[in-house]
Amino acid sequence: MIGSVCLLAVYFLTPVLLNKVAEGLIREDSLVKADAIVALAGDNRCNREKRAAELWRQGWGDYVVVSGMSYAWGFHTGEAARRYVMSLGVPGEKIFMINETLNTRAEARALDDLMRERGWNSAIVVTSAFHSRRATYTIERAALGRSFYSSPVPVGSPEWTPRAWWSRREDVYVTVREFTSWANTLIGGWQ
Amino acid sequence: MMRLRRRWAYRVLIPLALLAIGCVSLFFALPSLLIAPASVAKSDVILHGAISKHSAADKYVIDLYRRGVARKIVCVDSQISWDLYPSDYVRESLISQGVPAEDVISLRLPISPCAGAVLPRIVEFVKANGWKSALYVTHPEDSRYSDSLARRFFEREGVAFAVSYSPEDSEELTRDWRRTHWKTQRMVGEAMIIALDRFYSECR
Repeated sequence: MIGSVCLLAVYFLTPVLLNKVAEGLIREDSLVKADAIVALAGDNRCNREKRAAELWRQGWGDYVVVSGMSYAWGFHTGEAARRYVMSLGVPGEKIFMINETLNTRAEARALDDLMRERGWNSAIVVTSAFHSRRATYTIERAALGRSFYSSPVPVGSPEWTPRAWWSRREDVYVTVREFTSWANTLIGGWQ
Repeated sequence: MMRLRRRWAYRVLIPLALLAIGCVSLFFALPSLLIAPASVAKSDVILHGAISKHSAADKYVIDLYRRGVARKIVCVDSQISWDLYPSDYVRESLISQGVPAEDVISLRLPISPCAGAVLPRIVEFVKANGWKSALYVTHPEDSRYSDSLARRFFEREGVAFAVSYSPEDSEELTRDWRRTHWKTQRMVGEAMIIALDRFYSECR
């Protein structure tokens, strides 16, 4: 009898717990006007850049920062992101770029350098929802003394969605990878 | 009572220790588990899918083409930023290195959750061009999985299939891989992909 009750409890509580765990990856702060809006790299659909441009048009920041890497074949993902943000109405002189951002920690260091150089003290961090808590955490530790506010891309297909994430192949991959990356970040592992 | 408690502790601790040993052994064995021997079979087309920041596969693909392994090269990739398809640039690069423009094609693929979801499109493209055999050049860590997964898709449609990779890429990837972020990320990522794909019909 007790065994059956336990099994039923596990059956019904596991999905609730898994949803909660995934929701824990998201950090969404109240929006505050900042010096810059930063769209982090790594979104091949460019929804992060789209969100950053949207926030800029609403007046939440003075500048937009895009991020990317150069490849041996002569293209730069940051340049493509810049073109996209310009096509969404942000003037070229309002866009800055950080380069060679192979992972979140490298990106955080590059952003810190840019903010120091430009004298900026605050930024809105725009990234995918699953990445928002770790990205903001990493940036806050790399750029001490500055203020950061997280405003992730809204969840919902084709973006990662925490609700019932285990039922979609791509969302499982992203969720498991994000937890692994969290572990790596917290133990200060691979850079 | 004490003895009973100890027995339960052993029952829990021993499987946990075995699991931990299994995970650590699996991690160290990743290169030998993921990387299959490269096979170079004479084919109608080379499918160049080893396009990434850390790959030197272009040279290898050109070498295969010059050795007459295949008459055509198809560079295969999906969008990595806004309207940015690396395969277009790889095509230009191969042309600038002496491969005739009419022999290199860039195939733009849609963004997909897994390889299995886009493989039918590649097979369809190969068949539409009348090619009967394909040599897929991929990343070393993807070679064993591609050899089983992609082979099924191709052979089902009557297209002979082989998988290869640049020896330079393999050497670079396996050199000190446990200490380098991108190398570990790629090995562990591939292991995750293989494990996950088994649970989703659209990826098998």
